[in-house]
Amino acid sequence: MSAVAQQAPKKAPTPKARKSLNAGQARNGLLLVLPTLLFLSVIILYPLINAVVISFEKDAGLDKATGMFVQGGGAGISNYTHWLLQQCGTESCPPGTLGAQFYSAFWVTIFFTVVSVAIETVLGIWFAMIMNRDFKGRALVRAAILVPWAIPTAVTAKLFYFIFAYDGIANHLLGNIGLGPFLWTSDPWAAKFAIIIADVWKTTPFMALLILAGLQLIPSDVYEAAEIDGATKWQTFTKITLPLVKVPLMVAVLFRTLDVLRIYDLPAILTNGVGGTTSLSMLVVSQIRAGGFNSASALSTLVFLLIAFTAFLFIQFGGADVIKRPPGAKKKKDAAPPTAPAATAVAAQSGVTP
Amino acid sequence: MSTTTTTPQTSGTVAPQAVNHRKPSMGSHLLGVAAWVIGLLFVSPVLWMILTSFHKEADAATNPPSLFAPLSVDGYKSFFSAGPWPPILNSVTASVVSTVLVLLLAFPAAYALSIRPVRKWTDVLFFFLSTKFLPIVAGLLPIYLFAQKVHMLDNIWLLAIFYTVMNLPIAIWMLRSFLAEVPVEMLEAAQVDGANLITTLRKIIAPVVMPGISSAALICFIFSWNELLFARVLTGTRAETAPVFLTGFVTSQGLFLAKVCAASLVVSLPVLIAGFAAQDKLVQGLSMGAVR
Repeated sequence: MSAVAQQAPKKAPTPKARKSLNAGQARNGLLLVLPTLLFLSVIILYPLINAVVISFEKDAGLDKATGMFVQGGGAGISNYTHWLLQQCGTESCPPGTLGAQFYSAFWVTIFFTVVSVAIETVLGIWFAMIMNRDFKGRALVRAAILVPWAIPTAVTAKLFYFIFAYDGIANHLLGNIGLGPFLWTSDPWAAKFAIIIADVWKTTPFMALLILAGLQLIPSDVYEAAEIDGATKWQTFTKITLPLVKVPLMVAVLFRTLDVLRIYDLPAILTNGVGGTTSLSMLVVSQIRAGGFNSASALSTLVFLLIAFTAFLFIQFGGADVIKRPPGAKKKKDAAPPTAPAATAVAAQSGVTP
Repeated sequence: MSTTTTTPQTSGTVAPQAVNHRKPSMGSHLLGVAAWVIGLLFVSPVLWMILTSFHKEADAATNPPSLFAPLSVDGYKSFFSAGPWPPILNSVTASVVSTVLVLLLAFPAAYALSIRPVRKWTDVLFFFLSTKFLPIVAGLLPIYLFAQKVHMLDNIWLLAIFYTVMNLPIAIWMLRSFLAEVPVEMLEAAQVDGANLITTLRKIIAPVVMPGISSAALICFIFSWNELLFARVLTGTRAETAPVFLTGFVTSQGLFLAKVCAASLVVSLPVLIAGFAAQDKLVQGLSMGAVR
């Protein structure tokens, strides 16, 4: 509500109209959101609260002091110090144990996230722009591009496992141009890139689809105006396409980021953590398998906080107007012919600083 | 909508209604070549899968792939004889039902969050995101226990509801980003004409944000279609979905590449169909000029 109020003075042409539309409808608005809100609360809060509660209890196991088998009991924050300070009992965790892998899992997860999301974004924009053109067989290309994404990740991982096998196609093709062979599933760097390549291949269609939809928001007369002004392709792209597609683009990047931060099946099947490719989610699973349910919950809670923090940063700094109402159609409409690039660029900037 | 005036030198690509911004330039050839190379790298695994799926196992196992080996449909035969129809039907049910539910819930919610005022709406949006914060495995056990308690294990409807929850956040965020672009004049006009909420949503807003709605629908459909982890834990023999069946098939036939490729392709076919169906909706629709 406040955001709307803040924007009102800027929207010189229709401040009154906007206000009258909003007046007295707050209750209505809430009614529309309520079903979804309730629906999500039940399903999200329960597992979350459950995870947090049991993360403060002890793992079942042999008590080191008494030698007795104990079930539960309060653990204070020891499950958290286990991961964060690498403490196993009273001493620090010996290398090779799950506890000692926390920081490596943390960094490799961040690495996967940054690299794959960056590549997927660039390729996604590119694919979307190609698909937005008018050419023969466009319908086919648009549908076909969805194939990689349509295959369940577990199967994709298996296929790439074949492709990246030592005597597989990837090495064979690279051999033809004098590279390799690489140990794709065990060499520390090759394994990381094998995972990234598979991830990019699989999820670029998702990015492309979202961005393609976003491109439809751009009125074609803006492009025509730019063309008349003699803007170069690059200028058109950076000054018109990017700013105008920014909101859907940021939504795509945000959701991708949240997903890669929880990456599990791809590395689990493709490399099974060899070469330092154990992600945080994989570590949670290994810990559960090792019987440490409570410490696994503590780790889950930590991951939850990490991702929540990332999302928060994103919204605060990454793309402020993902959440704020963007400058909107009004301005774009005014940004008619000759000054289009300049006007839209200004509109985009003014949206960032309210 | 203003008419698109095609200038002859733009290589004739400016078709009416297609968005176009092309001008021939030196660098564009280089970019074109790069586009082809990347496109080729991107589709080559798919082509390889298609080719392999039509080979006999012996030919599929060779490296380099034997391009000209005799074709055969053995892979497909063995997949279909394993009884894939019930799981595929289950998947269709879960995906379609959840996609419809998501749209029914997300569209009004997104409308409220972008156009009508909701107090603390940024917090609400952030809360919607929080479904994506917990590692999936951590949510698995509580949800399994819950399903057991309400006797909904191995029930495809539970999965449909679950997928709805899973996809709601992205659908709302996406739709909101589109709705924020709807010109206020349109809503005012509707209000003046006395249109009620449902009419406004259906007749006025929906057509304008069609590309957003259809891509949201497609995204929800695909996410539900290839979801594996929850399906594997929450279903048994009755409600088994296609991905569960497929991974089972891959595990049992893992060394038989042709069968694996054939099975994967068949399972991704419905998505291809959905993608095709969403085609024209994906691009037509919104032009802001509509209000002029």
